[in-house]
Amino acid sequence: MVVVKKRLIVLAALLAMAAGGLKASGYPPPDDGPVSGNLQVSGPRRIVSAVPSLTEMLYAIGAGPQVVGVSSYDEFPSEATKLPRVGGLLDPDVERILSLRPDLVLTYGSQTTLEAQMARAGIKVFSYRHGGIEGILQGLRDLGVATGHAAEGEKTARDLRQKLDAIRTRVRTYARPRVLLVFGRQPQSLQQMYVSGGTGFLNDLLDIAGATNVFADVRRESVQPSQETVLTRAPQVIVEVRANNPPTAAQIAAERRAWAPLASVPAVRSNNIHILTADYYFVPGPRVAMAAEGLARTLHPEAFR
Amino acid sequence: MTISESTLPRVAAPPRPIRTRLAITLAAYGGLAAVTCLLAPLVGSTQISLARVFDRSIPFADNVDAQIFFVARMPRVLSGAVVGAALAAAGVVLQALLRNPLASPFTLGVSAGSALGAILAISFAADAAFGPFSPVPLASLVGAFLAATVVYAMATRPGRAMSTSILLLAGVTLNSFFSALILFVQYMSDFTEAYRTLRWMMGDLDLGSFAPILGVMPLIGGAFVIFAMLPSSLNLLSVGSDIAATRGVDVARTQRLAFISSALATAAAVALAGPIGFVGIVVPHLVRLMTGVDHRIVLPASALFGASFLVGCDLVARTVLAPVEVPVGIVTAMLGGPFFLWLLLRRG
Amino acid sequence: MSLTAEHVSFRYDARRESAAEFALHDVSVAVQRGSLTGLLGPNGCGKTTLLRLMAGVLQPGQGSVTLNGGSLREIPRRELARQVAVVPQETHPAFDYTVLEMTLMGRHPHLGLMQLEGPDDIAIAHESLAATGTADLAHRAFATLSGGEKQRVVIASALAQSSSVLLLDEPTASLDLAYQLEVASLLSRLNRDRGVTMVLATHDLNLAAALCDSLVLLRAGRVIAQGPPRDVLTAPLVQQLYNVEADVRFHDAAGHLTVVPIRRAR
Repeated sequence: MVVVKKRLIVLAALLAMAAGGLKASGYPPPDDGPVSGNLQVSGPRRIVSAVPSLTEMLYAIGAGPQVVGVSSYDEFPSEATKLPRVGGLLDPDVERILSLRPDLVLTYGSQTTLEAQMARAGIKVFSYRHGGIEGILQGLRDLGVATGHAAEGEKTARDLRQKLDAIRTRVRTYARPRVLLVFGRQPQSLQQMYVSGGTGFLNDLLDIAGATNVFADVRRESVQPSQETVLTRAPQVIVEVRANNPPTAAQIAAERRAWAPLASVPAVRSNNIHILTADYYFVPGPRVAMAAEGLARTLHPEAFR
Repeated sequence: MTISESTLPRVAAPPRPIRTRLAITLAAYGGLAAVTCLLAPLVGSTQISLARVFDRSIPFADNVDAQIFFVARMPRVLSGAVVGAALAAAGVVLQALLRNPLASPFTLGVSAGSALGAILAISFAADAAFGPFSPVPLASLVGAFLAATVVYAMATRPGRAMSTSILLLAGVTLNSFFSALILFVQYMSDFTEAYRTLRWMMGDLDLGSFAPILGVMPLIGGAFVIFAMLPSSLNLLSVGSDIAATRGVDVARTQRLAFISSALATAAAVALAGPIGFVGIVVPHLVRLMTGVDHRIVLPASALFGASFLVGCDLVARTVLAPVEVPVGIVTAMLGGPFFLWLLLRRG
Repeated sequence: MSLTAEHVSFRYDARRESAAEFALHDVSVAVQRGSLTGLLGPNGCGKTTLLRLMAGVLQPGQGSVTLNGGSLREIPRRELARQVAVVPQETHPAFDYTVLEMTLMGRHPHLGLMQLEGPDDIAIAHESLAATGTADLAHRAFATLSGGEKQRVVIASALAQSSSVLLLDEPTASLDLAYQLEVASLLSRLNRDRGVTMVLATHDLNLAAALCDSLVLLRAGRVIAQGPPRDVLTAPLVQQLYNVEADVRFHDAAGHLTVVPIRRAR
């Protein structure tokens, strides 16, 4: 299958946004294999990952050398980009995967067909679903166990937790603004925007970065508010995240102008509209600490002087 | 030769002459449209106080109630009225042109062209804007005109009547072809873009400003100027094109004007709010049930009722599951679909 | 007034070159004022085409059709509609118009661009319905009428055009015997009492014999005979027209010539 070159928006992360309310569930390795002890000997040697955040986790816990195939949407780390691509969330290339002779395939929980095919081929599957920051931490641990890097997995999770806690502590003393976190929008239009709801890793990041989500009460990962709703919720800060193509000054001005009609919104009045560009805002994986810090610096610059 | 002919006396008390009926209809439907458009901005998922809205002592930029009323709701109601009127009128005209009460503004491929344009703009994150049009509506207009031109060129023969069968076939073919292209583009897109295009296709009246509405007014205005001239000819045309010709109708010209005006109205409506379905079929039928089938009454009444209908559907869309909004195209489909089935059963 | 076709030739597909594709070839017909002319011939002989040419719906490839000396091409559409009305063979409106609405459509050529019909127009419509014996059907839906009633309403609608010429395409083709008589007598009466010039295309030879004072026989797009029925409705000409041996004789009780087919000609 032809590798499709794409912009850097991770399918899996956004599936989570749009579908709403997904739970984390690690998938323990089949019980016919030993789980502890001779991990290095019994760990899988050839791992294919169809989920970009899991790919990043693999490299973070030291399983990088075992990776033989990644999804079409993987952009980090750079070693991963040189590996063969096996398709995306909706169109995993089963033939490609099989041709790589994996002994462990990392899938997303909705890829039931792929999981069934791997089961038929006798290949172990690690099935994962996004579930906020806790889900990432647990995922790191579970993936560590599944790949024979249990100790590294545990350590990476601990380190990540510490980094996040450090950020949380740093901004603890500052007032928590009400924030609208926008992760998708038509250019120069306020119609059909996607914002973070009260669950999911973006909401967790806001919490860590010392802010309150204006939609904290909506138990969904993504919300598409009407302009009336935005006026009613009246956020004090608007943060827009995008994956790539950092906007030029002119573009930033244009996008700020798009918000101008909603003049009674405090964020618009005080021109507190920020556009952050980095792919780690869209990958709920080990780099969330960078995302948390990015948000924290934007919301509480005083804390980082 | 004997004559066996009925010699019953003339029936008394006919329905009112058309002048009266037209005046009454316009007053009634116009009143309904006015009431709907005046009341709709008062209702919504958030309670606002009319007193505060018009309280001049609060600066506009600080007055949340006024912002909700004037920035969020009014453009929405106005665009609902304009789009509803345009789609309903275009539906009436196309049903007459194609001599088929089941035709809709989307039958002839214009909306498929709009959709393809919009979806390409979404998928490629187009940035080019023009005046009051942001990239997606702009691309939508381009797509609409492309589709309309192709269909028009295929069905028009110089100096002769349009072939309605070619018109229909060209429209249906273009619809299928563009739909396939749309699916392909969606498949190749990222998940978000695919979802975004899906969302666009469900319709959205939440414009937030009057600028896009003003931007399409030339198209809508042009369409309605032509609409005003057509009804009498549409009556005759819908009986038969030969019979219309022998009664003084310029059939070729009427057909072309009908096509062009409905294409303009549909293109503008879809550029503004996405392809909102069922308005163009359901409203003309409902109106005919109430007013009879004379196009001189049905066309203006449908435009007015279409405005009320869509504003009403949007009201439901933004309040029924608040704070979650149901896309307005889904509400029109939920209302229109069953109604249409009922219509078909009734006829059968 | 006179409606004349002079050396008219017409073909539907102008891209073909062969003469065999002509629907009409060098046809000349002169219709006198107040006459009731019949166009006779087998299916495909061109009588409907000739009727459409005489109505101005089609333009002849060669020759011309003139009304009172003026070519139809030069007469504005509405003006022509005020002079010439057409009753088509079948009428299937796409929408549920009432009888009165259908009839009032005949007033279209007399109304301005956005003008609505006034009391005069409504009176003319009612009067046309009365003339065809359908006055009591005025507020019925057209689609609910019987075949004969529909045909009479369409004739009324053409009458409402207040034209001096009426062209009819197979006016009795889908009607049963009783309705055939009705419509025939109606046409005869209108021609006699109102002086409406009529041209009707038909393949009903007996109807033509009963009604018409002049006949035009068409075969394969050419006129093979023209004249009063007694001259033109002869066994040899009928055979030439239809390839059928027929018995043509005057029927005393009916008061006109009758044509009875006997067998196909060898």
